Amino acid sequence: MNIMAPLGTTTPKLPTKIAIKDLQFYYGDNMALKGITLPLYDRHVTAFIGPSGCGKSTLLRVMNRMYDLYPGQRAVGDVMFEGENILNPKQDLNLLRSRIGMVFQKPTPFPMTIYENIAFGVRLYEKLPKADIDQRVEQSLRKAALWTEVKDKLSASGLSLSGGQQQRLCIARTVAIKPDVILFDEPCSALDPISTAKIEELIDELRSDYTIAIVTHNMQQAARVSQFTAFMYLGELIEFGETDGIFTAPKDKRTQDYITGRFG
Amino acid sequence: MAQHTVKSFEDELTLLDNRIAQMGGLVERLLGQSFDALNRRDPKLAETAIASDKAIDQLQRDIDDHAILVIAKRQPVADDLRHIMAGLKIAADLERIGDFSKNIAKRALAVAGESHPKPLLLGLGHMVELALRQLKDALDAFAERDADKALAVWRDDEQLDAMYNSLFRELLTYMMEDPRNIGLSTHLLFGAKNLERIGDHTTSIAETVHYLVHGTAITDDRPKGDNTSSTLIQRG
Repeated sequence: MNIMAPLGTTTPKLPTKIAIKDLQFYYGDNMALKGITLPLYDRHVTAFIGPSGCGKSTLLRVMNRMYDLYPGQRAVGDVMFEGENILNPKQDLNLLRSRIGMVFQKPTPFPMTIYENIAFGVRLYEKLPKADIDQRVEQSLRKAALWTEVKDKLSASGLSLSGGQQQRLCIARTVAIKPDVILFDEPCSALDPISTAKIEELIDELRSDYTIAIVTHNMQQAARVSQFTAFMYLGELIEFGETDGIFTAPKDKRTQDYITGRFG
Repeated sequence: MAQHTVKSFEDELTLLDNRIAQMGGLVERLLGQSFDALNRRDPKLAETAIASDKAIDQLQRDIDDHAILVIAKRQPVADDLRHIMAGLKIAADLERIGDFSKNIAKRALAVAGESHPKPLLLGLGHMVELALRQLKDALDAFAERDADKALAVWRDDEQLDAMYNSLFRELLTYMMEDPRNIGLSTHLLFGAKNLERIGDHTTSIAETVHYLVHGTAITDDRPKGDNTSSTLIQRG
């Protein structure tokens, strides 16, 4: 990216990993997303910001059909991923969720050993010999920057780890099944600043292999970890663009008011 | 512009603006006094002017400290961030303008005993007048967040350059006429150069205001009028 060029003129033609088009989402009769259109660019981090209830988490949950678990919730529109609309009722959800993984706000390790937390998911999708699974566990823990801290206690419970370590274990678990896209829903809101910094560093590293979407209430975090930022308000996408531009000279007044703390 | 939810943040930004306005006022007065001291051969006024630069330097340090504290506390973004960066840059430009003005006052002391041919000081007086008007407009543009006014200041710097060129030639001619004029003329020449530099810093303030308002730099090519670096007087 040429930082000397005027804002808004540098967006190169990037390959789109997920193309969302005119997406509407309903909780019963309540319309929570009012026609969202935006791309998630391949191997870039896109941050979703906006006040509570703006629909950013809803949007994230649409991307791996998390809402299917709840009756009365439905999505209309296109979410194109690898040439297919993932909203298609025939979509294989297990397969989809192995391609588009999710990390939640609170760390959610399974009540099993550190090793099993990762191996469990791998076995669901692949039949591998023990040695290969061992290797996958190590690889994933290394990717999640957790390996050196846990390599001597792989048989300890996942719940014995600190909050920050648990969150990195969840990231390792997601990475282990080799997804294309990782969705982060406020991954640091329950963590201390050091653990937060580690997760941010990790997201930056994961970017070279994965397409990442992150929902965050921490404005500075969005500015630090993402290359693109989407500002949402009341179920609408107000502004989408390069993060550098959004945080130095946003175009829409509502974006400006929100990120500078002037929102009524 | 809507107010910040956190009122103390709003107060901190207002304080920054007030200090810039205060600093701008002191710099304008210093420049005016420095030229008056030169024009009226008034060493006492020159001393007063020179002493007042201390307060300007102190204000710049205050503004720096204040801005750094606000950045640390608020982590400003968007127009707030541009606002604070603009404050820092404008304070730095004003401090330099203060130094150049003080330099004119020092020259007033150096030449107080020499005779002052009116026409030469008249030329310098016109430069001071324009430099002061430009500075006032640039500071008003900042206070009013008026990018058009800033752009006008930016364009008009050419006039100051043109005045500098003509004064430069005039002073060279005067020196050639009588070597006894060289001392005074050289001081006046440096004074003119100081004013030309003051114009450049005023232009920089105008550019900062434009960025503050629009988030983009001025992209036109600025008309450049200073060509003294290649000027020679042919001896007949």
